[in-house]
Amino acid sequence: MTVIEARDVAVHYGGIKAVDGVDLALEPGRICGLLGPNGSGKSTLLAALTRLVPLTRGTLLLDGAEYQNAAPASLARRGVARTFQTVRLLPDLTVAENVRLGADLRRRAPAGVVDDAIERTGLGDVVRARPGELSYGMSRRVEIARALATSPRLLLLDEPTAGMNQAERQEISELLRRLRDEGLTQLLVEHDVQLMIDTCDDLVAMNFGAVVAHGSPAEVVTDPDVQRAYLGKKWRAHA
Amino acid sequence: MIAWYEANVVLIQSMFISLLLALSIQVPFRAGVFSLAGIGSYGIGAYTAAIVTLQLGWPPFAAIGAGMLLAAVIAYLLALVLARLSGLYLGMATIAYSLILSVAVINGGELTGGAQGLFGAVSDLQTGHVVAVAVAAVVLLALSERGRPGRWIDAVREDPELAVSVGVPVTAIRQLSFVVGGLLGACAGAMNTLLRTTVTPEEVGFHLVVLALTMIIVGGSRSWAGALIGAVVFTWLPTVLAFVGEWQTLVYGVVVAVAAIFVPTGILGLAQDFVRRLRRPALPGGRP
Ligand SMILES: Nc1ncnc2c1ncn2[C@@H]1O[C@H](COP(=O)(O)OP(=O)(O)OP(=O)(O)O)[C@@H](O)[C@H]1O
Ligand SMILES: [Mg+2]
Repeated sequence: MTVIEARDVAVHYGGIKAVDGVDLALEPGRICGLLGPNGSGKSTLLAALTRLVPLTRGTLLLDGAEYQNAAPASLARRGVARTFQTVRLLPDLTVAENVRLGADLRRRAPAGVVDDAIERTGLGDVVRARPGELSYGMSRRVEIARALATSPRLLLLDEPTAGMNQAERQEISELLRRLRDEGLTQLLVEHDVQLMIDTCDDLVAMNFGAVVAHGSPAEVVTDPDVQRAYLGKKWRAHA
Repeated sequence: MIAWYEANVVLIQSMFISLLLALSIQVPFRAGVFSLAGIGSYGIGAYTAAIVTLQLGWPPFAAIGAGMLLAAVIAYLLALVLARLSGLYLGMATIAYSLILSVAVINGGELTGGAQGLFGAVSDLQTGHVVAVAVAAVVLLALSERGRPGRWIDAVREDPELAVSVGVPVTAIRQLSFVVGGLLGACAGAMNTLLRTTVTPEEVGFHLVVLALTMIIVGGSRSWAGALIGAVVFTWLPTVLAFVGEWQTLVYGVVVAVAAIFVPTGILGLAQDFVRRLRRPALPGGRP
């Protein structure tokens, strides 16, 4: 059974068809990568999956049950967590408190989940800092830690390594794979193709709000449509 | 001390009433809900308490409770009706609530006493009761600023979409802030009526909007402490400013404008920044 599924999902903003008829299914315990040029609808698809935008049409399924009318706040309780493309931390709270906000959805969070999330994302030294005092890469880690503190079964990540250097990206990639090995299903949006190949089990490529290719990373990055739409000459030289 | 208290008892009472009034809009503001419905609720509380005292002879706490209950129900309905409004539009709509109310009580016939208002709502409510209620309200609100509820309310104000994504019941918290604002405003209005034994349409008019906003702008809206600072300042400032006579209103205006422009987080925000700067050592791993 799939963990989460989108069937013929469309999100239109007036005349803009940000997402237009996407089918997507995430298998448990796998990392699915979502590639696509700027404006191809990746973030909008994540917003649709997390019920933050209304669907123009289509069906959403969580563990096989339709949820396209569910309250967005109910999804976190059902094990769906996400990060955002832009860093969204509460400026007056410390790093530790921002992470704790993730665990707050349970009256009694499992012992150690906050500390664990902080430790795994490498935030141990800055727990008492406030977001304004962090570098961009560090802020992104807090986003991931907060999502992990909700104890999710499914994690949707919108460009979690944007603004990080190569070593930091590598670290996040390793973290995501470790989480996958522990059973956490993930949908990962990233522009760094090499990182996607290294991290993901499956890839989906989008363009103009539609899926243009899906399959194993090797299949997708060599797909002619994808090459044309997104990868460009620079990557072709690599492959 | 006792002499001072007796000479100033009216001001002391009105300071605690003002505190509750200020809290009635500080609570929704803290949740990012720009609702002034607490001020309309003050009018509901003030008139309900007078009516049930005069016509039904209810004891003071029943009269206050009746006003609070009615105001809370109306505030909840307002929250449902105004759910789509935010910011300035919500502010205007909720100011309209208090303006409509002040017109309604003028035209309320015998029930509300028309333009003269209601007199003789005598009760045995004492200053100590008012202080106790205000302290209880402050303690409860202070608790709501800590731990899980504190983080949730911060999240609802700063970033509702993020809040929703971590499972915070944003809509329910917004509605609750309306209702709590209604309870606090009505409590203030009802106690004021019973202390003074009278209520008139002017007392629940537009000046309350100005008073409540100035208290919160100058004191700060992030915490109950801001409401307390505002209540203290605007209760005692007039006595301090007595020597400027007619210029009082001007001085008021200048104080509020200066606070709004230069200290948007209020005196409370200034104090918090100051404390934070004193405590902050350099951070490892932080930005240089
Ligand atoms: N709230 C909105 N209102 C109107 N149009 C929007 C809105 N959000 C996104 N769009 C449009 O929808 C399209 C898809 O945007 P989206 O953010 O989903 O793309 P993306 O694939 O995430 O791009 P990027 O890689 O730059 O993050 C774009 O044309 C964008 O301008
Ligand atoms: Mg995006």
